[in-house]
Amino acid sequence: MPTVRLKGLSKSYGDIKAADGLDLEVKDGEYLCVLGPTGAGKTTLLRMISGLLAPDKGKIYFNGEDFTGKEIEERRAALLSQTYALFPQLTVEENITFGLDIRGADEKLKEQVLISMLDLVRLSGRSDAFPRELSGGMQQRTALARALASGADLLLLDEPLRALDARLRISLRTELRSLVKTLKMTAIHVTHDQDEALVMADRVAVIREGRILQIGTPKEVWDKPATPFVANFVGQSNFFTGEVLQSSPYTLLRTAEGTVLKGRSSEIPSGATAVLGVKIGNTEISKERPGYLKAKVERIIFEGRNLHVDLMMENGQRISSKVPSWRKGKIAAGDQVDVYWEESKGTVFPMPPGGLENELRVE
Amino acid sequence: MFFLFFVILPTVYILSYAFTNWGSIEQHVLDDPAMLDLILNAISASFQIAGIVTVIDILAGLPMAWILVRKEFRGKRFLDTLIDMPLAVPTAALGFSSAIFFAVTPESLAAPSFALNIVTSPYLLIILLHVVFSYPYMVRSLSAILVQIDQTYETAGRTLGASALSAARTITLPLFRAGLVTGMILCFARSLSETGGTMIALATMANPGSFATGPTLIGDWKHDLTSNPDLAAPLAFVSILLIILSLVLLVVLKLVIMKIHLPMGRIWPRPERLFSRGWFPKTKDGMAVLFLVVFVILPSFFIFTYVASATPVAFDYGPFMDSLIYSFLIAAVVTVIDISLGVPLALYIAKNRKGKLPEVLDVLVNVPLIVPTAALGYSLGVFWTGQNIIPTFDALLIILAHVAFTYPLVVRNVAGAVEEVDPAYEETARTLGARPVQAFRRVLYPMIKSSILAGAIMAFTRSLGETGATQAVVASAITAPVYIVELIKSEAFYTAGLACIVLIIVSYVAMLALRYVTNGRRSR
Repeated sequence: MPTVRLKGLSKSYGDIKAADGLDLEVKDGEYLCVLGPTGAGKTTLLRMISGLLAPDKGKIYFNGEDFTGKEIEERRAALLSQTYALFPQLTVEENITFGLDIRGADEKLKEQVLISMLDLVRLSGRSDAFPRELSGGMQQRTALARALASGADLLLLDEPLRALDARLRISLRTELRSLVKTLKMTAIHVTHDQDEALVMADRVAVIREGRILQIGTPKEVWDKPATPFVANFVGQSNFFTGEVLQSSPYTLLRTAEGTVLKGRSSEIPSGATAVLGVKIGNTEISKERPGYLKAKVERIIFEGRNLHVDLMMENGQRISSKVPSWRKGKIAAGDQVDVYWEESKGTVFPMPPGGLENELRVE
Repeated sequence: MFFLFFVILPTVYILSYAFTNWGSIEQHVLDDPAMLDLILNAISASFQIAGIVTVIDILAGLPMAWILVRKEFRGKRFLDTLIDMPLAVPTAALGFSSAIFFAVTPESLAAPSFALNIVTSPYLLIILLHVVFSYPYMVRSLSAILVQIDQTYETAGRTLGASALSAARTITLPLFRAGLVTGMILCFARSLSETGGTMIALATMANPGSFATGPTLIGDWKHDLTSNPDLAAPLAFVSILLIILSLVLLVVLKLVIMKIHLPMGRIWPRPERLFSRGWFPKTKDGMAVLFLVVFVILPSFFIFTYVASATPVAFDYGPFMDSLIYSFLIAAVVTVIDISLGVPLALYIAKNRKGKLPEVLDVLVNVPLIVPTAALGYSLGVFWTGQNIIPTFDALLIILAHVAFTYPLVVRNVAGAVEEVDPAYEETARTLGARPVQAFRRVLYPMIKSSILAGAIMAFTRSLGETGATQAVVASAITAPVYIVELIKSEAFYTAGLACIVLIIVSYVAMLALRYVTNGRRSR
């Protein structure tokens, strides 16, 4: 059960930087989710850790020992790929014992591990089946069992739930996490699904363009995003631009129209241009209570538990809000509403150098 | 390295002859109008025939490939095997068999009365013969690509209002240029380099006259070389011409097909709709099957009826059996060499697609495929006997020659298969603790085994049936196909027929055995 430490890991494909000086430390027994949009360098990161890809620069340490140039099979880091890559010519049983076979384990040990693994992933009845005869969920569990049984200490999961249908994906989240925890393995799980990352991870690392933007517990990443991008990628946010009037004990921001908005305390000097981000779920609307801003309801989308409300502010900017479904019937398109939020829910960021629109782009 | 030194270098070595011995070429070829005429006629006949054969193959092969891939019907598997059958018959036997079927044959042959017996032009006969053995290649290459083309494109086209024919023509056809190129190159090269069958067919028919193709010239002259050393220069000249022309053609063919935009976009909704329904598709399918039976299957196996109907003649099996065993040993050794050296190269090419070197290698691998084997064989013979690097045993030379043109078959097959396999399998195996060798043996190898086997079977049957290269490299060598050629030349037709049948049966048994052995190992 290693700690994994990456130091200044870089990898480029031509002009594209898939890893741009990655620093990361994964603790022993930790379940880390790496969250980022497609093309952020998530898979590159996993491939470098597993040894399938050599970094251009930087070092990889397992338990403090330099593993950068070590052979793939010496790293004891099992990769579980999106497609599972179950060997089609082998049965479930042979797939699961593949790692043990390779290492020349004796029959008794193999038998033991196989039985416990089949039990663990609830496939005891299907040990003679071939992968193509299994459902997607069973294939996923077989691949997981194979990785767990290989004797690896580190589990690298590349979007392991991606190919499953929505319901199964959600039920396997907790199952996968508890299996890994039971076996006390360290796991690095890569995903582009924010819900998955928030539910499963001990800590979440948000990655973009080969750089880690923020690493922290799901709650930290959710409540205190480090950049506007994180605020918007992990739960959608509304953004307001303006000039900072004060930054402590809470921040005051004056928009171009002269409206003053409130957010958490920050370290941005007065007079600087800044961006205030509020999660759409924390953006509240009311017809009675006065708020910071006025807006007109453009449309309401029913999402089951919540209503998604699109609003048009007086300056022409569009924002959104999520309100509980019981308010259906109390608001309607065309209504004039007041918009407000708790000041602790507003995070103030310095204006991104490339502009706000560029910052929020998800490529 | 092996590949460059043993395959490519000897293949093109003969080109250097043009520079070093220009004088003798001038003296014996260029200054001898009769000789020059003979050579140019033979070579132009070769290319014309190859061109016509390729066109026929495309026209007749396309509907057949379509039937095999897109249609479901009873007896489909049977049809599938039927198409492959001529592949297993050595071309020497094919040549004899088709000639009896199609051509007007001399009295002494006593062909059965129900043979077609109508073809008197050697030119036409050779075209028919070449269609017989190149047709399966075309159908195979086309259907291989057709399988990969997602039918949803066509379905989408249909739902957007296109008729079946319009959809197939404008959507699917342009997608399989690659398959078409492979098929065309294979057919063209096969036709261009065929020697044994052509020689036999010519010897079998009544009045072949002085008709010759490039490869048969090489075969005949190499045979006479010992008695007439002046033939060395014309021999080299023919080989050089064949090699250069075929290489130029390969490049041109590739460029033309990939670059030219056929006016595929235009649509004639009315006539195409008309052709999509009713009698036309059925007729097309019927014609395709009829073509297969009359022009491919019947000629291939007509030999059986001939032998059954002819008056038996005593046959001394001894020398033929010797030649057969000799052929088999050579084919076996060749196949083993192909596999053990071809698979690593295929892996290298397939896994380093992006690099420069593998790309170059990939192109070079095709060179021996397109160069006529007789020219290749002659070049090889001159190279090795001239170098004194290795002892020049006949068998060794023949093996080297056969490796040169069968090696690409294995490399192509295996490289294609490896590229199909998702690299995630091997990578996952590595992260599960497998060393590279283990990952290959336990994971990749079982997945590509059938392709290796297919390559091996192709290499084996090609080696077994090869005449041109064998004759060109060692004139006196007696392999089974060469022996049959000799028999027919001495008008021992019945014996030749028997020998052909033995050869056919033995090749079949060998193929079946090979399949059985590998299947048996799979199920442990």
